[in-house]
Amino acid sequence: MIRLDNVTKTLSGRKILSELSLSVEEGETLVLLGRSGTGKSVTLRHIVGLMQPDHGKVEVLGKDVSSQNPSILTEVRKKVGYLFQDGALLNWLTVKENVALPLIETLGVSANEIEERVQRVLREVELDSHGDKFPGEISGGMRKRAGLARALVCDPQVVLHDEPTSGLDPISSSIINQLVNQLKSTGITQVLVTHDMNSAFEVADRIAMLHEGKIQALGTVDEIRNSKNPAVRQFLEGEVTGPLTHGTLDGGSDAAEDRNEVS
Amino acid sequence: MTGAVEALGRFLGRSAESTGYGLVLLGKTMLTIPHLLNRRRMRDCLNLMFTYSVGSFTVTAVVALFTGMILALNGGDSLASLGQENLIGRIVAISMIREMGPFMTALILTASLGSGIAAEIGTMKVSEEIDALEIMSISPIKFLVLPRLVALTLVTPVMTIIAAFIGILGASIVAANNFGVTWIAFSNDALENLKLGDVHIGLIKSVVFGVTIATVGATQGLLTRGGATGVGEAARRAVVISFLLVIILGYYLSWLYLS
Repeated sequence: MIRLDNVTKTLSGRKILSELSLSVEEGETLVLLGRSGTGKSVTLRHIVGLMQPDHGKVEVLGKDVSSQNPSILTEVRKKVGYLFQDGALLNWLTVKENVALPLIETLGVSANEIEERVQRVLREVELDSHGDKFPGEISGGMRKRAGLARALVCDPQVVLHDEPTSGLDPISSSIINQLVNQLKSTGITQVLVTHDMNSAFEVADRIAMLHEGKIQALGTVDEIRNSKNPAVRQFLEGEVTGPLTHGTLDGGSDAAEDRNEVS
Repeated sequence: MTGAVEALGRFLGRSAESTGYGLVLLGKTMLTIPHLLNRRRMRDCLNLMFTYSVGSFTVTAVVALFTGMILALNGGDSLASLGQENLIGRIVAISMIREMGPFMTALILTASLGSGIAAEIGTMKVSEEIDALEIMSISPIKFLVLPRLVALTLVTPVMTIIAAFIGILGASIVAANNFGVTWIAFSNDALENLKLGDVHIGLIKSVVFGVTIATVGATQGLLTRGGATGVGEAARRAVVISFLLVIILGYYLSWLYLS
């Protein structure tokens, strides 16, 4: 379903992804874990063709998105939903208009169908009574759910989530996790980037841990939870010193830094 | 020394990048003009025209009124010393319609709308809304740049005409009160000496300025990097670049007209 082969990406002279190879099977939910700046969000952006690898190949739904062929990108993106960290809603449109946007602008479906599909996804994310509000009038958790509704309104085969629970209270996080699990039960393929261990264990079929642009560990929830890999242990236990910090208190750069390098 | 050379290199590199990007953006936006036939794009464009006109009317009117009054006061003072104060009308009308109206309006729209376009699109860039549009296969050029470019290009000549009219009105008040030139004498002198070419060049300049301000604003917005600081920097650059281009293009258009 999704395949990254030896993907390398350098931004501002720093290697973010280093010959990364990864595959996600149909219906699977893969969680990408790792410290900030280790290339998790960059990996998602390669999957959806927002970034082009320096080397390597990215295939989604059997199409080579790393070729940056506009017709391939359009075809693939119609089948992929993407939940951004802060929802990325347009603030001059209401929640309902935001959710309807891809249907109106790209699919050209009838007004009745748009209304019906928007109401359905808003009900699924429990925002049906907030459709007429603007993004600035709702909470961060609601904005994420609205972003998820927009990602789902075109009935995607793949959904990518960038930090779906970051900055949310535990209850809002649980709501998002529940929604991810509901999507999982419908057979949608999902890739999540998160730092939230509880969330990762709750939703993942497999977990991949990234460090310095490479996969340090890959396995099922139980395999990762019981892993003896020192890097995994350090991350799970939140130790300050260890292989992820090279025995120092060295911190990773913020992921937002990487996003802003996108031209 | 090395630091200064590096800084100069960075500045030149960034300038070349934004110039190339801006020209390509303008070309791509021009190619999407047929999309204005789409009802939603047309509605967006009309809404923006309304917002831009209402938002900049007061400041344009006040600046134009006082500019006309200042022109009349200074011009009238010099002419009165030669006993030629009855020529105030032509001087103010020609300078307001051919030069000051388009130039002054362009500077006001640069500061109020050009910086606003850069900040708005820049904020969307850093908050990943532009990426979200691309993932939804919605072209940011058709969706964001086209309506803004067309709206500003149409609003600028309208605001220029209003500014020139208000400026001349202000000048006529000063001419009457300070130099005893009647409204009839003022307007006759203005109308007899104003050529259709003066109006044409004023309108051509305003259209060119409108395209420039919108393109620079959108370019700087789309090139924004680095969060809130980047947005502020994009708005600042949009104002500086537009100011420079308006004054340089204004000179060459006047030169072409007069030659």
